[in-house]
Amino acid sequence: MRNKFSKLILGAALTLSVFSCKDDLLSPVPKTSISDLSAYDTPDRIESLVNALYDAVKAGNFLGGRYLIYNDIRGEEFINQTNNGVTGLQTWNFTLNASSNEVNNLWRDAYYAINSSNLFLDKIDAAPAKIAPEKVTNYKAEARFLRALTYFSLVNIYAQPFTKDNGASLGVPLRLKGENGAGNSNNLKRSTVAEVYTQILEDLNFAEANLPATNSGDLNITRAHKNTAIALKVRVYLAMARYADVQREAEKLVPAVAPFKAPTGVRHELNANYAAIFTSYRTLESIFSLPMATNDPPGTQNQLAFYYLAGPVGGGEFSLNMTGNGILANRAFETTDDRRRLAVAAGTRTYLNKFTTPAPFTDWVPILRYSEVLLSLAEAKARQASGVDASAVALLNAVRTRSKGTAVAPTTKEELITAILTERRIEFLGEGLRSLDITRLGQPFPAKGVVNAINPTQSEYIWPIPTTELAVNKDCEPNP
Amino acid sequence: MKRILLLSLFGFFACLQTWAQSKTYSGKVTASDDGSSLPGVTVQVKGTAKGTQTNGDGSYSIETNAGQTLVFSFVGFTQKEVKLGANTTVNVSLGVDDNVLSEVVVVGYGTQNRKDVTSAVSTIKGDAIKSIPAQSFDQLMSGKAAGVNINIPNGVLNNPPVIRVRGFNSITSSSYPLIVVDGVIVFSQDAGAVGPAGIAANPLSDINPNDIETIDILKDAAATAIYGSRAANGVLVITTKKGKAGKATITYDGWTGWTQAFRKFDLLNAEEYVMMKNEAEQNRASLAGQNFTPLFVKNLDPNGVPYDTDWYGEVFQTGFQHNHNINVSGATPKSSYYFSAGYTNQEGFLKKNTFERKNTRLNISHNVTDNVIVGANVTYSSSDAFAPNSGSLAGTNFSTGGLGRIPLVSAPNVPVRLPDGSYNINSTGGLANSLGNLGNLDRSGFYNPAVMLDLDKATAASERFLANIYATINFTKDLSFRTDYGIDNLTVDSRTFLNPLHGDGFAARGIAANYLLKNRRWTWQNYLNYNHTFADKHSVGATIGTEQQYTNRNMWSASRQTVTDPFFNIYEGNYTVNNNPPFNFLTENGFQSYFGRVTYDFAKRYFFTATLRRDGLSALAEGKKFGNFYGISAGWNLSEEKFFKDALQDKISTLKLRTSYGKVGNAGISDFAALSLYDFGNYGGNVATLFFSQAGNPDLRWETSTKFDAGLNFGLFSDKVTGELTFYRNVIDGLILNSPLSPSMGVPGNSVAKNVGSMFNQGLEFAINATIIRTSDFKWNTSFNIATQKNEVTALAEGNADIFGVTQLETANITRVGQSLGSIWAVPTAGVNPENGRRIFINSKGEQVQYSHAVPTGQSRWTYLDGRTAPAISAAADSRIIGNTIPKFYGGWDNNFSYKKFDVALSLIYAGGFYVYNGTRAGLHDQRFWNNAADILNRWTPETRSTEWPRVVYGDNVSNGSSFPISENAERGDFIKCRNVSLGYNLTSEYLKRLKITNARLYTQISNAFMITNYSGTDPEVSSNGNSNLAPGVDRNSVPQARTYSVGLSISF
Repeated sequence: MRNKFSKLILGAALTLSVFSCKDDLLSPVPKTSISDLSAYDTPDRIESLVNALYDAVKAGNFLGGRYLIYNDIRGEEFINQTNNGVTGLQTWNFTLNASSNEVNNLWRDAYYAINSSNLFLDKIDAAPAKIAPEKVTNYKAEARFLRALTYFSLVNIYAQPFTKDNGASLGVPLRLKGENGAGNSNNLKRSTVAEVYTQILEDLNFAEANLPATNSGDLNITRAHKNTAIALKVRVYLAMARYADVQREAEKLVPAVAPFKAPTGVRHELNANYAAIFTSYRTLESIFSLPMATNDPPGTQNQLAFYYLAGPVGGGEFSLNMTGNGILANRAFETTDDRRRLAVAAGTRTYLNKFTTPAPFTDWVPILRYSEVLLSLAEAKARQASGVDASAVALLNAVRTRSKGTAVAPTTKEELITAILTERRIEFLGEGLRSLDITRLGQPFPAKGVVNAINPTQSEYIWPIPTTELAVNKDCEPNP
Repeated sequence: MKRILLLSLFGFFACLQTWAQSKTYSGKVTASDDGSSLPGVTVQVKGTAKGTQTNGDGSYSIETNAGQTLVFSFVGFTQKEVKLGANTTVNVSLGVDDNVLSEVVVVGYGTQNRKDVTSAVSTIKGDAIKSIPAQSFDQLMSGKAAGVNINIPNGVLNNPPVIRVRGFNSITSSSYPLIVVDGVIVFSQDAGAVGPAGIAANPLSDINPNDIETIDILKDAAATAIYGSRAANGVLVITTKKGKAGKATITYDGWTGWTQAFRKFDLLNAEEYVMMKNEAEQNRASLAGQNFTPLFVKNLDPNGVPYDTDWYGEVFQTGFQHNHNINVSGATPKSSYYFSAGYTNQEGFLKKNTFERKNTRLNISHNVTDNVIVGANVTYSSSDAFAPNSGSLAGTNFSTGGLGRIPLVSAPNVPVRLPDGSYNINSTGGLANSLGNLGNLDRSGFYNPAVMLDLDKATAASERFLANIYATINFTKDLSFRTDYGIDNLTVDSRTFLNPLHGDGFAARGIAANYLLKNRRWTWQNYLNYNHTFADKHSVGATIGTEQQYTNRNMWSASRQTVTDPFFNIYEGNYTVNNNPPFNFLTENGFQSYFGRVTYDFAKRYFFTATLRRDGLSALAEGKKFGNFYGISAGWNLSEEKFFKDALQDKISTLKLRTSYGKVGNAGISDFAALSLYDFGNYGGNVATLFFSQAGNPDLRWETSTKFDAGLNFGLFSDKVTGELTFYRNVIDGLILNSPLSPSMGVPGNSVAKNVGSMFNQGLEFAINATIIRTSDFKWNTSFNIATQKNEVTALAEGNADIFGVTQLETANITRVGQSLGSIWAVPTAGVNPENGRRIFINSKGEQVQYSHAVPTGQSRWTYLDGRTAPAISAAADSRIIGNTIPKFYGGWDNNFSYKKFDVALSLIYAGGFYVYNGTRAGLHDQRFWNNAADILNRWTPETRSTEWPRVVYGDNVSNGSSFPISENAERGDFIKCRNVSLGYNLTSEYLKRLKITNARLYTQISNAFMITNYSGTDPEVSSNGNSNLAPGVDRNSVPQARTYSVGLSISF
């Protein structure tokens, strides 16, 4: 009896321990992720990697929402309603500091996007997957386009405008090699603004040369093609006040006379219905937009509609500034203008109804539009001409009359330039261009509501370098 | 001969022949103090395995022969030996044993007599923690054992306490001890998330405190090395109750309690609020050169009475709790059994916060043959929790709907409901989704808490099956084999709903999510134990074995939003939008281990132990998976030496010196930490993305802790006073750190795990237990313990880069070489400038810089005291270390008194020599629309220039620490707290005995009865970041602790 039990237990224990001593006890394989070593194994994975580069710039903290919002609310068009430190209050009233969340999160996500592109550029040539060489070149061009877009976004918020001193000020650290966490490259000095711009232009020139002329369907809007790179160059040169270059690049997309329609590649043109640009998302006017979906939304407190729409659909975070400096109080913004219909009263306040999809707020985010190319070209021409440039006026009025604004007939060069700049405020309200238009011209940020104006000499004029960077990157200088 | 007790507990009954010419001896065993009969006493013939037990009335009979010695032993009583003569009636009276040194301690894969233990082990008895209102036993351990620090983070039900055995032993990995229940390593908080953020859940709450016999806390390397790679943070070995010899005992324990928030803030009332906020706006307008318009008004109800809302009253309540346990236990010479069932239903002081648990346990063992024992410990537990958004759990501190914060910020001059009975909320326009502002021109608060409390849901239903089945074969008296298979399955079904009307679900127009988490683990141990005494003096013990463990954790979840009708408040209702799953994962790990232990003692005077464990863990890279861990110890039982006995025995009854050294590990490594990973997602909804998600490190090794320990145990005056004194030093090397990378490198998480850090903890532990008075009527027993700890980080990642500890949106902690882990990091301040009422900050150059939130255009907010423009203060450049958050000393002091039938227990805990970052205080003085603490009335005004609070300026979130942490809000946390005080009355009487009631006690108690502290927040124990190593000692918007009053009854049949 005694032996039988003992033997049974011992026998069972030994038998089971042999069988259960499975080899994989110590070597389970992740079932929800793949190893970095196999990320480049198939053409499909590489296509997914490229999509991820776009998705990285689309982060809610960056171009998927907050970058545009910050650049608008720093300007004079919006009034903070909620006093919420999490939704841009300190950006709006210029009380940010280096440890503020918007300063740190935007930097982090933008550099994640840069590193994603860098890693891709480092690894794609050695990818085990079989892909045609021209496809590889296209992919590289996309990565460099996105890197340029990201550096341009960064340098225009964390550094002094190029126009201040021809880019002699400190820019941002220029990271061009992929980082996988190994090795030690924590320390990197900030390049000058000019050096960053040089890299941006180099990337964009490469992108223009190597991107496909067209994609297909939605990809003409959500993925880069030649005209996308050109349109971004127009913006970059405008920020540098290199108006001849603005003109040269813009003219690749704009014929000398109406009808204004891109002569090559994707045939961009103005969309007759202004509001539809932001609701259908797929008009020829959109050169580059970041797509959203219920399964790929911008994320909580990052969405354009959440910030700008009144409750109950939006969060009512920022209403339109209806007085003083606000563009809504500007006579150039006529009541007949279609664009004005997007300013909708809610109670005693007025809100921007450009982005209207309710939660989870899947409006596509406009990054580059054809009307911007037209107005930038108009401005470049106007500034280069000695008098009133007629073609600039034509371009301005093309944009203006498209949304039933009255055509203008400026009588002086200055009047024309002012009209174009005002038109930009009307046309791009809520699209994240306001700060750039203020800083590239060295203007003060105008006063609004309870917030006083900020002069270009004040430290608040640009964002501080974030504490998270300064704490680790010992070569990185803070902004004064 | 305590070894016999040890052997009998082991169940090592060897079969020996009996002698001829035997007689039957019989008698009755009674307790010496009250003469009551003792059932279940082990009666053993000395030197043999022959034995029996006393029956229900304490009598026994045993067949043996004259000249033998009978040994009578019973837990809690001193053992007695009687040499048998001609008289066959042997009545024995046993004295109550105050000598804790005679107990058995569980040391992992075996037990040892406490007297023989040469490692640092503290024991908490189950009786010390039962029947006190709590959700889990760990909450009750505060102050009970030297070197074990338990912090209750706040009064949210089932919020896991922070447990630290000899301080923080890791930086990035966990500092939470290993939890072993009946020999099986079980899921604890360490297992990671137990559900969605915001629902407090503690896997240890599935273990009924009333089922616990003892908790042994293994502290040094010698004690913990048997658990090898998981031992660095200490080990809590929990042994559940077993049936005791004698007839079946039925015990009922129950209590009923009422709980309230302990210490709330004194806030401005409506009138003061309106005055203060308008004064702030007036100051702002005048400083900015603008016109003043009052922002806040006196809002009147229909009767013309101004609203003055107590928001605490909307959020807090007196919660009702009740708890019942019943168990049936007993043992025969062949079998022992313990059945129990428990039910607890507790309301928190936070409205809607509930915790309900039903659990059953069966512990059984049976001698199948005379050398084979099989047994099982099985428990099943199911619990249901409802957890409103308390904003008091790690990562939720700044949550807009956090109920810890809402009473502090909401304007008192608006009502909860409007006169028509509807909620006072804004639903449209600019202030949509905020508390209704009535006549106020700015918003009045974040959300109206009443709506969320009424309509939101957050539940967690958990089911735990925890069981082990074992068999022991005794090959000989000395050699045994044990196989033990354990299962730990923990399933948590969490469901949340955020209503469409108001709050966090407003924008989504109602959002529901369900989460199902399955944690599954099996463990299998096989080991041999050998014990033998050679030549009466050389005792040798050896254990050798293997263990395998496999853990699989899987969560899947689903979320939908935009309800089609307000009727729906569950996921299964109807919605128009399907969201991405909020939190899915599937992960697994495995351990393969080999272990061995050798013990030797010479004549119970000299002791040696050596332990070795080799662990393999799947999370590490190929070739790096295995690590070796060891511990050695030695002891000298001085009091057994003849010279000592001769000289000192009357005074010093026991004195043992001991020391140990060893190296153990920390396995708190994420399951695939060695791998660099890419994850899939989508771009714009319909195309796949593949993105860099984790920077792995193939060179990752075990984090190891080298522990040295030296101490002594003593007993004075026949062990009426016992105690111990220990010095320890733990040096942790190869700390796995999320070594920070410059964010501009763009690596996910901005960090990579590396073995780069080192740190040490050292300190002294002292514990003393004394029976001060013992008369037949009055008894007074006291136990006191104190532990000191010094923590210093000695190396960090490349360049010793600082590591910052984040409290969701703010960074108030730093880990820096040469300093204590997680020290407070804030900008120094130097009070308020009496000239102008501005807060003075001190920048990194030591210059005084003052701040004005409002200035005219072109002027700087930051100026030197002479008015020149100064560079803006930045938290990165100007912060300094303000103080340590880890207490320099802490401990507990328990006193138990009994007088006749009354008993009183008073349990105090204390800690000192540390700072708390009181971030809540920043919020309480924030000059936005938020309500303020009443002490803001002492703010600077031209009339009152000397004050601690600056001139109020509307919108100012900088001066008082909301924007970045300031030293003004770092406070000393020293406290003494009465964790529990109870008064009991023993109802036992002859009358009850006739009703077969052997024991009955009625008691009442108060937990958190009082606290002595200068800390201005609710509680210096608060840990807003829960178990975080990097951000401890932060109090940010957390609900207070609970004070609970209870009455209870305990009856045994």
